[in-house]
Amino acid sequence: MGEIVVSDAMRDYFEELESNLHKEIEIANRARSRGRDPKPHIEIPLAKDLADRVENLIGVKGVAEQIRIFDETMSREEGALAIGKAVAEGVVGEFDSKEEAIEAAIRVSVAMLTEGVVAAPIEGIDKVTLGKNDDGSEYIRIFYSGPIRSAGGTAQALSVLVGDYVRRAVGIERYKPRKEEVERYVEEILLYRRVATLQYTPSEDEIRLIVDNCPICIDGEPTEAEEVEGYRNLDRIETNRVRGGMCLVLAEGLALKAPKVLKHVNKLEMDGWDWLNTLIAGAKSSGDDEGGFVGVKPKDKYLRDLIAGRPVFSHPMRPGGFRLRYGRSRNTSFAAAGISPASMYIMDSFIVSGTQLKVERPGKAAGMAPVDSLEGPTVRLKSGDLIRVDDEQEAIEIHPEVEAIIDIGEILINYGDFLENNHPLVPSSYCFEWWIQEFEKAVENLPYTRDELKNPSQELALDLCEKYNIPLHPAHTHLWHDISVQEYEKLSTFISENGVLSHDSKILELPLNLTTDSGIKTILEHLLVLHKINDEKIIIENPLPFIRCMGLDSELKKKWNSLPEELTETVQVVNELSGLIVRERAPIRIGARMGRPEKSNKRKMSPAPHVLFPIGDSAGNTRKMEAAAGYISSMNSKVGQIRVEIGNRVCPACGMDTFLYRCDCGEFTVPKLFCPRCGISAQKEECPKCGSKTTCVKMQNINFKEIYQAAFAKVGERENIEVKGVKRMMSGTMTPEPLEKGILRAKHDLYTFKDGTVRYDMSDIPLTHIRADELGIKVEKLIGIGYTEDIYGNKLERDDQVVCLKVQDLVVSYDCGQYLLRTTKYIDDLLEKYYGEEPYYKAEKLEDLVGVMLMGLAPHTSAGVLGRLVGFTKASVGYAHPFFHAAKRRNCDGDEDCVMLLMDGLINFSRDYLPEKRGGKMDAPLVLTTRLDPSEVDKEAHNIDVCDHYPLEFYEATQSYTNPKELESTFDLISARLGTPDQYEHFMYTHDTTDIAAGPLNSAYKTLGSMVEKMDAQLALADKIRAVDASDVAERVLISHFLPDMFGNLRAFSRQGTRCLKCAAKFRRPPLTGICPKCGGRVILTVHEGAVKKYLKVSKKVAHEYNVSSYTKQRIELLGLDMQSLFENDKSKQTGLLEFM
Amino acid sequence: MNEIDVLTAFIEEGYQISPEAVDLICSHCSPGELVAYVLEHIDLSVLVIDVEHIDLESFNSSLHVNEETFKLSEELSPELEKSYNYNDSHDTNGSYDSYSSYQTSPISGFKSNYCNVDSPISILSDITDNSTCVGEYMEFVQFFRNRYTRLSDIIRGRITARPIESLKKGKGTNFRGSREAGEVSIIGMISDMKSTSNGHKILEVEDPTGSFSVLIRSADKDLFEQASHFVLDEVVGFTGTLTNDGNLMIAQKVTLPDLPAVNPKKTGSFGKAVLTSDIHIGSNTFLEEPWERFLDFLNGDTDNEALLEISKEIRYLLVAGDLVDGVGIYPGQENELSIMDVYDQYKKAGEYFHMIPKHIKIIISPGNHDAVRQAEPQPRLPECIRDYFPENVTFVGNPSIVDLDGVKVMLYHGRSIDDLVSSVPGVSYTEPTKAMVEMMKFRHLSPIYGSRVSIAPEKKDYFVIGNVPDILHCGHVHTIGVEWYKNALLINSGTWQDQTEFQKRVNVVPTPAQVPVVDLETLKTTILKFNE
Repeated sequence: MGEIVVSDAMRDYFEELESNLHKEIEIANRARSRGRDPKPHIEIPLAKDLADRVENLIGVKGVAEQIRIFDETMSREEGALAIGKAVAEGVVGEFDSKEEAIEAAIRVSVAMLTEGVVAAPIEGIDKVTLGKNDDGSEYIRIFYSGPIRSAGGTAQALSVLVGDYVRRAVGIERYKPRKEEVERYVEEILLYRRVATLQYTPSEDEIRLIVDNCPICIDGEPTEAEEVEGYRNLDRIETNRVRGGMCLVLAEGLALKAPKVLKHVNKLEMDGWDWLNTLIAGAKSSGDDEGGFVGVKPKDKYLRDLIAGRPVFSHPMRPGGFRLRYGRSRNTSFAAAGISPASMYIMDSFIVSGTQLKVERPGKAAGMAPVDSLEGPTVRLKSGDLIRVDDEQEAIEIHPEVEAIIDIGEILINYGDFLENNHPLVPSSYCFEWWIQEFEKAVENLPYTRDELKNPSQELALDLCEKYNIPLHPAHTHLWHDISVQEYEKLSTFISENGVLSHDSKILELPLNLTTDSGIKTILEHLLVLHKINDEKIIIENPLPFIRCMGLDSELKKKWNSLPEELTETVQVVNELSGLIVRERAPIRIGARMGRPEKSNKRKMSPAPHVLFPIGDSAGNTRKMEAAAGYISSMNSKVGQIRVEIGNRVCPACGMDTFLYRCDCGEFTVPKLFCPRCGISAQKEECPKCGSKTTCVKMQNINFKEIYQAAFAKVGERENIEVKGVKRMMSGTMTPEPLEKGILRAKHDLYTFKDGTVRYDMSDIPLTHIRADELGIKVEKLIGIGYTEDIYGNKLERDDQVVCLKVQDLVVSYDCGQYLLRTTKYIDDLLEKYYGEEPYYKAEKLEDLVGVMLMGLAPHTSAGVLGRLVGFTKASVGYAHPFFHAAKRRNCDGDEDCVMLLMDGLINFSRDYLPEKRGGKMDAPLVLTTRLDPSEVDKEAHNIDVCDHYPLEFYEATQSYTNPKELESTFDLISARLGTPDQYEHFMYTHDTTDIAAGPLNSAYKTLGSMVEKMDAQLALADKIRAVDASDVAERVLISHFLPDMFGNLRAFSRQGTRCLKCAAKFRRPPLTGICPKCGGRVILTVHEGAVKKYLKVSKKVAHEYNVSSYTKQRIELLGLDMQSLFENDKSKQTGLLEFM
Repeated sequence: MNEIDVLTAFIEEGYQISPEAVDLICSHCSPGELVAYVLEHIDLSVLVIDVEHIDLESFNSSLHVNEETFKLSEELSPELEKSYNYNDSHDTNGSYDSYSSYQTSPISGFKSNYCNVDSPISILSDITDNSTCVGEYMEFVQFFRNRYTRLSDIIRGRITARPIESLKKGKGTNFRGSREAGEVSIIGMISDMKSTSNGHKILEVEDPTGSFSVLIRSADKDLFEQASHFVLDEVVGFTGTLTNDGNLMIAQKVTLPDLPAVNPKKTGSFGKAVLTSDIHIGSNTFLEEPWERFLDFLNGDTDNEALLEISKEIRYLLVAGDLVDGVGIYPGQENELSIMDVYDQYKKAGEYFHMIPKHIKIIISPGNHDAVRQAEPQPRLPECIRDYFPENVTFVGNPSIVDLDGVKVMLYHGRSIDDLVSSVPGVSYTEPTKAMVEMMKFRHLSPIYGSRVSIAPEKKDYFVIGNVPDILHCGHVHTIGVEWYKNALLINSGTWQDQTEFQKRVNVVPTPAQVPVVDLETLKTTILKFNE
C-alpha cells in the first residue's frame, strides 16, 4: 500500500477528483448540520485504501494501522490471516468476551480477503459462537448466511481457515462432529443443490471427509424453506431447514477451493489439514480420466437451463458458430467479448452492446460489445446469393432477405480472459494479424504498405505465396476443415467438369440447377466461398486461390488423378495438391447463447416510493401522500390523523416527544427507547428488567395533514405534485425521511431507493479509450476536464482523436444522463429550498454534466467508488475503465450495477434508513473509495492485456493448446505494470471499433412482447442459423422453462394461499368464513387458472412442430390432462378430450 | 392412553370406574385393547368397575391369539426361504417357465377354493366422474367447510360446543368470571400453531363464524402431550375457560374426532384379500423377479403347502397406487427409468395383471406416480390405460372406499404421510402405521393443507373418514406395517421397488417385495415375503 505510484498527470487527476470531493463534502456537511437529517454530518466515511475500508466496514478501531504494517511484508491472504490472529489475541481492538473477539477476527479477515468491498463479512457471517464437544471441550461454530455468496469461493474457504488459525491462538478445541451430524451435512447439501444452484457439488464422500476433519463447525442460519427429511431435530443443529450459507462455504468454498486453502496451510505450517490432500487427490482422479488427450471437447454446460426467448446462437463447437479471433478492442476484455455489429443485426437483434452471452469458453459468460473491425456473418439470401456482411448498414438492409445464416461471424476474445479462466489456448483462426507477422518474419523491408496487404487481389495473394513461400492470405483462405475429403473430391471434380472461368480469370461460373441438385452449392456454402446467382448461373468472383486450392490448373483441369490416401484431413490434402501453405481458417468455434439482456434503467423499488415516509394503510395500496393527508379513520376523527409505526425521539433539553431529528428548541433529539415487553422506558440497548432488546418504534397517531401541508409550504411548491410514500419503514429505528425530499423528488420524477439515494442501473462494459465525437461532447470539454494528449502522444485538439480513458471516468447511457440531470436539479432545489444553501450544479443540458462527480456501487457490496462523468453513449450500458468495475468487484460478464450523484449520497444517505434484515446493509454506500489503486482491485483485472498486437509465438502456441500461463511473460499485462506509473496510462488495444454504441440499441428480448412471441422469435432464429439445432433448442426450452413453470404452477395452485383484496392480508388457507377475518374484505386466490395454463398451448405446438423426444411430449400431454381434470367439471363438460390427444 | 382417556371411555359407555382400576388399566401394556375387552365382556349388572372386574388372564389369552397371528407371519416367511425357495424348486425341475406361458395356460392342477364363488365389489365412495372443481375461490372455502361440518358433527356427539362468534358476543357478559359458567367448548379447525417464549402453545382455531386463540399450558403435561400431535387444519374440540379479557381460551380438555372407544370388530366374510401398492413398473429399480414370483404364487405355482393353501383362499387383490413409475414425476427421472413411455409402462403392467387368475378380483387406485391428475382426490386411471387390463380389474380413485363382500376397505395412496412424518412427533417412515393411527384420530386422511399434498377443491372432502372402515390400506412410503387401532386394521403394503437414489440420500430404507394377506373372516394378517 503506501503511496500509489503515479505520473504527474495522473497525480493532478486524482488531486482534482479529491478536491471536488472535499468541496462537495463541505457543502453536504453544511447542509446536514442544519439538523434536518438523521445525522448532522455526512454518513459515508472515506477510505483512501483497503485498510481504511476494512476498518470502516467492520468498525474495529486500530485495524487499519495494523493492516498497513502487515501489508509491507505479506501478501493479501497472509495479511488477512495475521490480522485475524491479532484481533483474536487482543493485540488490536477491545472486546468483552472471547466469542466477540473471535467473531470480530473472522469478520476482519474476510473483509480483508474481499478487499473491504463486499457485504459478506458483515452480512454473510451471522454470528460466531462456542459449542460443546461430547468430551466437554469447546469448539467454534461459525454461522454463515446467504450473503456469504458475495465473498466468492476462495474467501469463503479461507474464512474457515481463519477460524482455525484464530482457534489455535486462543486455545479452543477442534470440532468433533457426531455421526448423525455428518450425515445431516450430506443430506442438506444435496438438498440445497436441488433447490438452489451450486457451482460445484461435492460427492457424498467428499462432504463426509470435510465435515469429519474440518476443525471448525460450519453452521448457518436457515435460508431456504425446505427442510431435511432424514436427519432431523439434532441437538446441536438448531434448524431442520436448509442452511444456504453453510452449503456454499462447504461446497463452493472448501471443496472447490481446496488447493488454494492447502497452499496457505502449507505456508503457515498448520497441522490437522492433511485431509485436504485426500480431497484434492479424490477430485483429480475423477476428473482426469481423459488420459493423454490434448485439445478441447465440446462443452454444452452453457446450454443448461435454457429460457424461452433467449436464443442459442451456436451449439458447442459446431461449424457455423462464432469463429474465435484473439485480441482486445478498447471496449472488450475483462470477461467482455466483441462481435461485429452486422452479426448483431443479422441475428435478429438479440445481441446488442451489454447483452450477456453464456459462452462455451473460456469463461462461463461474457458481456457483448460491438467491434466493427471483425468479420461479420455469412448469409444465404432468398435469391440464393451467399454473401458476407461486415457493414452495419448493409446488415440492416439485407436482413429481411436472409434465408439462412451459414456462419455467424467472428467473436473477439482477449488472451487475458483465457489466462484468468486458466483455459488452455485453443488454435487461433488464421487472421490478418497472424499472417502479416509471418510475412514480416519471412521478408525484411516490406515491399507493400499494410493497407495494401489487408485485402490483396487474388493475383497478389498468390504471387506473395510463390515469391516468399508464405501461407496463403487469410482473405483468400476457405474453411477447408469443414468439409470431408470425399466432399473435396466431389467438389473438385464437379468444378473441373462444369466450371467456366472467364477470360480475365476474375469470374468462375457454375450452372445453378446442377450445382444445387448435386449438393455442391451446400459444400460451397460450408466453405464460405461467396457467390452470387445471376441468370441461372452461380458466379464466384476472384476464384483463382480457390481453384488453386482444389488442385486445378488455370484451364480447370485436375492436376491430380487420385487423392493421396495417407491424408485424412482436408486441409492437408489442400496443402498437398495446391502446393501452397494453407492454414486453418476457423479451427475452433465458440458456442454461445443469450444470457441476460442488457440493462439501463432507473432503480426503483416495487412499488416505487418518492420518499421513505410511512403512512400505514391510510392511503391503501397506492401509497399516495395526498390520500393520507385526507384520511379519516372514522366518522368523528380528525382529517389527516393517521396511525403509523414510527421511531419515537425525545429532546434531551425540553423533553418533548417527536419524530424529528431536531427539536423546535434547536436541540438534536435522540431515540426514545423502551422495552417492548415490560413497557418500561430505558435509554439503554437492553431492558434492565428482562434483558430483551429495547426499541424506539411505537405505533402512534400523527397529524399527517399538518406535516404534509407544512412540507409543501417549506419548499414552496403547490400541492399538485403526486408524492408516494411507504406503508411501513423497514429500518430498526423506523426513522422517516423528511417529506420535503419526497416532494422535490416527485417534482423531478425521481424515485428513491431503500437508503434515500436516487440511482440508475446499467450493465457493466469495459472501456479503455474514448473519442469525444462518440461521447456526444466536444473535445474542448475533454480538455477542460484534464485530458491533454491522445494515445500516440499528440496534443489533443480534434474530436476524433483517441485518448486513454482515465480510471475513474465513466460513460453512461443518454437515458441515465437525463436521469442524472434531473437529479442535479433536485439536489439544487433541495439545497436552495430545504437547506437554504446556494444551488450547486446549475446544470441545464446534458453537456453541463460532464465532469460531475458520481459514485458507483455494485449489488452485494457495501463500498462505493468515486467516479466522474465524462460522456454519454446511445448503448444501454455503463462504460467504465475495467479497474473501476473491478474496484466494485464486478467483472463484465453481464453484471450490472448502479451510479448515483456523489452529492446525493452525501446529503441523503443515512444508515438509519437501511432495512433491519438479512442483506439490509448490502448495496448501500457504507464507505467510499476515493482513489483507485490497481493493486487493491479484484485481481481478475490484473490479467488484462494492453498491448497493440499479439506476438507471432502466441499464434503458434495456440496450435498446441498451450496453457496461457506459459506465455504470461511475453504479454504486456497489467500485472507487470503494477507499481509503476504505467499502471494507469499508455494502454493499447489490438482491434479498433469506430463506434462503441454500434449495433441495435435494445435487445429483441426486451422489445418483443409476450413470452410466446419471444419463443417464436427464438425458434425462428434457430431455424435460420446453421450452427443451431432447432429441435434441441425447443426441447431444452420445454424441459428447463415451460415444463417446470407449468408443473410448479399446477402444484402451487393446489397448495395456494389466499389474499385479502382490501387489506392485502395473506392466509395460508382460505378462511372458513370466506371473508377476511381482519377487515371483512373479499378474499381471492393467489394462483389463477390462467397462470397455470399459460404455456400449455404453446408447449404443445412447439413440441409438435419441432418433434421433440416422445418423453417430453408425454410429459406435456400428461400435464394437459392433469389441468383438464382439475379445471373441468365432470358433470357439466364431457367434451374437449380430443383436444388433448 | 392416559387416565382421562380411560375414564372417558368408561363414562361415555355409562359406567363408573374406581381409581385403582384406572391405574391397573393404564399400567397395562395395551390399555386401549384392554378397555375394549373389558367393555365387551363386562357383566351388564355392574355399575362401578373395580379391579376385580378386569379379567387380565382371559384378556391376555385373547391377546395371545392376536400375537400368534403375527408370529405366524414372522415364522412362515423364514420357513419359506429355507425350504421353498422358488428358484431352487425351479432349478430342480430344470424348467423355469417364462411368465408369458401362464398367460395362455394357467398352472394345471391349481384349483382355487373360490373359483366359482362370486367375489362382489361395491364402491362406496370415489371421486371418479364426480369431480366438480373448476378452480374457484369459493370451492376452496366449501371444501374446508365440508371438512369442518362433517368432523365437527362427530365431535359434537361428545361435547356441547358453541359457535366461536358467540364467544365474542358474550364478551364480558354471561360466562366470563362466574365459576359455574366458566367452562366453554368450541370446535375449531386449527389455522395456526405457535409456541410462546414460555413454552406454551397458542393455537389459532377457526369455525365458519370466526376465529379464536386457544392456549395450551406446558404445565398441563398430558394435555400438552396431546397437543404436540396436533397438525394444521385438523378439527378439534376444545374445552376450557376464557381469560378475563375474553380473548383467549385456556384449554383444559381437547376432544379429537377419533374412532369411538368401542368400535365393533368386523367378522363374518370368508376367503383372503392380498394388499399391495407401489409396484413402480418401468423404474430401473422395479424388482421384477420377486414380482414374478408373487404372480406365480397367485397362480398357485408353489411347492410350499402353507403358501398353496393361502393362494387357494385368495378372492381379492388390492393395489393402493403407484402401479407404474410414470414420467416427469421428479427432475431427472428419465435416468432412472427402464421403460421411458408411460403407456408402455401401463401396457407392461397390463400384461402382468393378465397373468393373475380371473377369479381373483383386483382393485387398482392411483398414486402420485400414476397418469392422472396430481391433485387429490385423484380419479381412476383414464380409459386408454384401463383398456390394457383384464376384466377382473376394477379401477377406483384415490382415496376410495370399497366393500369386499361385507368388509369395508378404505384405499388411500398415502401422500399425506410425508407431511405427517415432518409434523407429528413419533411418526416416521419406518413405522408407517403410526401415521395411519393419526389419520384415524383426525378422522381424516390428509388434514395438512398447503404442504406436500396437492388438493383439488371438490364440494365434498373425500379425505374425511366418516363411516369407519374395517381396513385402511395405504402405500407410498415403501415400508410395510400392520397395526390394529381400536379394531380397525391399518396396513401399509410396502413396495416392489428397491431403494432409489433419492431414498438413499434421505435415509429411507424400503421393505420391498413383502405382501400382507388379510383373512376376511378374522382380519388376521399374514405377511408373505417374496424377496429371495
